[in-house]
Amino acid sequence: MVNSSISTRPTAADQRVRHGIFADRTPRRRHIADWSAKWIVKAGGASIIAAIFGILIFILIEVLPLARSARVEEALRVPYRGEPARGLLSDEYLTHAVTLGLDGRLQVIRLGEEAPQVVEERDLLRGAPSASVPEGESSAPAGEPKTAGPGPEPVLTRVQAHPSFRLLSASRSDGRVLLAPVRWKISFSEAEGRIVSCELPDLITLQVDPRGRPLSAYALVKEEGESDALPVTIVAQLEDGRLALVERKVKVNLFTDEVEETVDSSYVEIDWKLKDVVLDPSGKNLYAVTLDDRLIRWPRQRGGLGEPQVIESSGSSITAMTLLTGGRSLALGHGDGRVSIWFQVRDASDRFQLRRIREFTGAASPVSSLTTCPRNRSFFALHEDSSLELFFSTSERLLWQGKSPVKGTTAVCYGTKGDAVLFAGQDSLVVKRVENPHPEISLKALFGEVWYEDYEEPEYAWQSTGLNDSFESKMSLVPLLFGTLKGAFYSLLLAIPLGVLAALYTSQLMSPRLQKYVKPTVEIMAALPTVILGFLAGLWLAPRVERFLPGLLMMSVVLPLFVVAAGWLWGRMPLRIRNSIPDGSMAFYFCAVLALGIWFSVAFSGVLESWVFGGNIRNWLFEVTGLRYDQRNALVVGIVMGFAVIPIVFTISEESFSSVPRSLVAGSLALGATRWQTVASIVLPSGSPGMFAATMVGFGRAVGETMIVLMATGNTPVLNWNPFDGFRTLSANIAVEIPEAPHGATLYRTLFLSALMLFLVTFLVNTAAEVVRLRLRKRFGQL
Amino acid sequence: MTTFNSKETDSRKDTSTGNAMISICAAALGFNLLMVIGIIGLLAYHGLGAFWQRELVLLTLDDGTRLLGEVHDREKIPLEVQQRSADDPENEGGPRSMVTADATRIRLKTGNRDVTGRDFIWIDERRVSQETRPEDATILERTEYGNFYGFALEIRKGENVLAAGADDVWKLFPSLHAKKLATLAEIRDLEQGAVEDVNIEIEDLRLARRGVEISSLPDEEKEERFAAIDERFREAQSTYETLAARLFALHDEVIAETLVMETADGRTREMPVSNVVRALRPNSMGLGASLGLYASRIGEFLWDNPRESNTEGGIFPAIFGTVVMVFLMTLFCMPLGVLAALYLREYTKENLFVRMVRIAVNNLAGVPSIVFGVFGLGFFVYLVGGTIDKLFYPEALPTATFGTGGLLWASLTLALLTLPVVIVATEEGLAAVPRAVREGSYALGATRLETTARVVLPAAAPGVLTGMVLAMARAAGEVAPLMIVGMVKLAPRLPLDGQFPFVHLDRKFMHLGFHIYDVGFQSPNVEAAKPLVFATALLLVILVIGMNLTAIAARNHLRRKYESKEI
Repeated sequence: MVNSSISTRPTAADQRVRHGIFADRTPRRRHIADWSAKWIVKAGGASIIAAIFGILIFILIEVLPLARSARVEEALRVPYRGEPARGLLSDEYLTHAVTLGLDGRLQVIRLGEEAPQVVEERDLLRGAPSASVPEGESSAPAGEPKTAGPGPEPVLTRVQAHPSFRLLSASRSDGRVLLAPVRWKISFSEAEGRIVSCELPDLITLQVDPRGRPLSAYALVKEEGESDALPVTIVAQLEDGRLALVERKVKVNLFTDEVEETVDSSYVEIDWKLKDVVLDPSGKNLYAVTLDDRLIRWPRQRGGLGEPQVIESSGSSITAMTLLTGGRSLALGHGDGRVSIWFQVRDASDRFQLRRIREFTGAASPVSSLTTCPRNRSFFALHEDSSLELFFSTSERLLWQGKSPVKGTTAVCYGTKGDAVLFAGQDSLVVKRVENPHPEISLKALFGEVWYEDYEEPEYAWQSTGLNDSFESKMSLVPLLFGTLKGAFYSLLLAIPLGVLAALYTSQLMSPRLQKYVKPTVEIMAALPTVILGFLAGLWLAPRVERFLPGLLMMSVVLPLFVVAAGWLWGRMPLRIRNSIPDGSMAFYFCAVLALGIWFSVAFSGVLESWVFGGNIRNWLFEVTGLRYDQRNALVVGIVMGFAVIPIVFTISEESFSSVPRSLVAGSLALGATRWQTVASIVLPSGSPGMFAATMVGFGRAVGETMIVLMATGNTPVLNWNPFDGFRTLSANIAVEIPEAPHGATLYRTLFLSALMLFLVTFLVNTAAEVVRLRLRKRFGQL
Repeated sequence: MTTFNSKETDSRKDTSTGNAMISICAAALGFNLLMVIGIIGLLAYHGLGAFWQRELVLLTLDDGTRLLGEVHDREKIPLEVQQRSADDPENEGGPRSMVTADATRIRLKTGNRDVTGRDFIWIDERRVSQETRPEDATILERTEYGNFYGFALEIRKGENVLAAGADDVWKLFPSLHAKKLATLAEIRDLEQGAVEDVNIEIEDLRLARRGVEISSLPDEEKEERFAAIDERFREAQSTYETLAARLFALHDEVIAETLVMETADGRTREMPVSNVVRALRPNSMGLGASLGLYASRIGEFLWDNPRESNTEGGIFPAIFGTVVMVFLMTLFCMPLGVLAALYLREYTKENLFVRMVRIAVNNLAGVPSIVFGVFGLGFFVYLVGGTIDKLFYPEALPTATFGTGGLLWASLTLALLTLPVVIVATEEGLAAVPRAVREGSYALGATRLETTARVVLPAAAPGVLTGMVLAMARAAGEVAPLMIVGMVKLAPRLPLDGQFPFVHLDRKFMHLGFHIYDVGFQSPNVEAAKPLVFATALLLVILVIGMNLTAIAARNHLRRKYESKEI
């Protein structure tokens, strides 16, 4: 039965069939082969759906962790004995903790499961010498106390920890401040790997109150740099109300390592009684809270303080104050449990003023301490009822909420890597692991106006990476979305009219013989690699547009005039000639006319520039309209990307126009309508859904186009519609930034989010277009 | 159609607006055609012009400066430039009274980057007092610092002068240069052959050692293996040293003879003869010689490696990388695309699922290519590649083998991207096969598989071919996703070579499209690289458009074949 052939077409297949290629196969085997082929083909079909959903789901999986809150989990609990620790420090690898209590006992505690023990102990009060020189020969812990003159034995009044300076400090009732630096020595051994040990260098004391009375509040900051010699500045309020500024400058002898110390003190009269003071890391700003809950900022000037800015109490008491990483944002904890963020903003009169930027609402109990993360702008807020929250300032996110793990928390310290936090309580030390990978992302940060540090007002901004660690990353997608729309808008402005009208002409007014050449010519534009278009746009067109800008503007007038005039001339042509050339030749005629028009405009560009625009159009633009001119701008992109979109618009609308049934067109012409009347009243309305589809698909293409915008704009994420300014699109942003984005980091996931948005936009647009086209086809099918 | 009746009274006006509208439509089409012609023409003009040798002109300026170079551009001086130079206290452009609208300037390529630090210079034409075209003005195309423009003085070997004066120099030069090129070729063969082999062996041994180190073998066995590896390592090392000594000797030999040249303003420069790629005296060349040079430059462009951070020389690695990547991609996307098309046309009736597949195909075609790149980076490179590295190449970590962009991932990503192209074209091919053919086959008792495989598919082959060619064209021109998943500016090795296993799926590669982006936008000397970029762009356009025309021809052939049979 297989031996006969298909009579009409003796193809190679038939030949094989004739020779009985299946003759050796049993029907059963053929059936199995057929059956498995069916499933393989079905699987092939399904794999397309799998591919598109796979892409979607994979990208979604990469994006989702952005929305995850932080995880804070207890990792270790170590018993603690002695006076409650007020100051707490730890090393990078969380192997040791150093505590300091008000009794002056400094303990180095090993953080480990097996036999947690105090490695080293030192008594700062009894071991401390009275002179303000580095403790040298008398460093023996049990050395006899050399008290400062008569009077009671001094005690510690306050203790602070400065993790970024690796320093613990305390104020003593005799008006001195003690500095206890902590150094971590890291070594490697084959057997155990990394070994971290703690060293306690000599204690340094500084006389802040020359009369030896207790200090009511103090703050200190170490000068930038890695110097171990501790050049510090201390600000403290004395008992008599004056503010003391003490600067300890050091000079290290390069050969002997000897430290030469000079201490400068100055005193400023102030009217307020201070509860707490904070100095920013640059030492240029002093923030203070008064007993009656005013907030005061002094700019520090040479040898003193500038004019203070006083902010009256908002009604709720201020119970905690700290600076966030970077030293610009001030976080205040309030008596009603709120936390407010403040920073300096330049006002209308060009002065910097401290302003309240945002507020977080936590538990209702007063905030007892705020602990900042050294790596980013997140911070823990601890309340008096021991409830605990983790906030992120920029994104206004509450990342985690819980309770303090220790009873009667006395000190909290963030690990230097930002991956753990330590709590000291009455009887134990607890290490909590903090897993907080993407705190800077929230809906508000991505799509809302955010007030960033150093900005004059809330803004949409994209700036993913900065020069240093204290950089606040700005992850607003709004400028990128805007840029995407701007690019698409300007290119569609060119592509839609040109594509649709050309399609209308080709499908309705052109002879089939010409159509056969014209259609592929326009369609082949779609095949031009966009990298070439981008290259031409950036390196060829952009400089020429800049040079002949007046000519380009003139074209918008000159070209239509030329077209109308040439059209009129064409109409004058004797009918005999007109009828002898194929329909649609007019397009080639206009090719020449337009070329002439463009040449004319370019040739007279210089003349126009000197007549109308005063010799320099860019200056003119800036002075008259206030528009900035950038060489690689939206106009250039509009022209070139428009060129890339035209073939798409053309193809789809051509398809829909030519699918309008001939009978309709013929009927209209038979009733006496002119060709244009037929086109305008029959073809255009019937094909309008096709035009819609063309617009949609063209929009999708313009939105996703990468290379042209990458090469033809300056890629600056700005927000304006100025056609002479650049922009940055989502797609170009991905291409620019993803090579620098570490796998799994926030930037990486944010870029995946932009890819997801591009995917969804094009998905929606294409689906809409497809539905419209299917419906159109069905409607014309019925006619 | 009642609307027409009301307008009839005004028919004259109607006709004229109609004519105007038709003019505008025609103009729209004309504009599109003009743009296509313009772009192709522009690329052809600059791309083909890139290989043409211009004459060398020697300009003497009013202050006595002598400049030798090629005139690359001539334009009216923008007024603001004139004003700026008039305001400039150095005042090179002349006094303010000279600011006029019709002053022109020329852009001279003066080369000699090692002497002056720049390749191009703008000269106000009014300052040129004398313009000559000396016969013995010479261009040296060099392997470093770009072109040299000047006059030959002598050839030396150390302190000995082998030839003095332009005539003697050019008599001696060709044979000497050929000898040096031969030595250079020997060096290259040695470097790419024996030395490369030894290097690879040393790297393999290092990895083997690391593999033993991280394995769970007992210590004694480890020691044994280390000893064996170290033994071989020493052998390789000594082979390497012999080779290196030979290389050094050759290097010394190659730079022994030097060419002493003089620039137009009288400065002399000495450079090894072997640094010269080509020495030309364009002003004394006839048309035949010029055409020969033109052809030889095109040959160099197509077959040579790039020089000077890609701004000069050839683009062979980029062509090769593109071709290998495209073929690999075809291998991945064709089977799947054809299967999917078969499913849509031959194996189901129209139902909801089929409609979903169709929408999926359409969307796949509409998804921006950069999204595919992002997906490829996350999925192929980091997830799949990272896993492969962990399982099969743990000794090389943390240096990624497959966990970084490379040939395989690039072709897979592009295969996904071009899938819809294949599907749509194949479907069209299948649709063109008349029902009668299938029914005939069924009537003869063939199963569906037999009908599809033996009758329908061969008949639809032009459609499948169209799809393949279109997919290849698309892949050859696509850059955005590749930037993310596997391209580099300069690949040290081709992805296909004589080293086992011959096709190196993990290697990075160069790509024509990326080359355009990279050289045109990232290179330090964009202006000097422009001709090369134009030539590359032209080549890419010819490739892509050629493939598209092939596809269109195949499709038309298919349509014609079945047009009559349909009835």
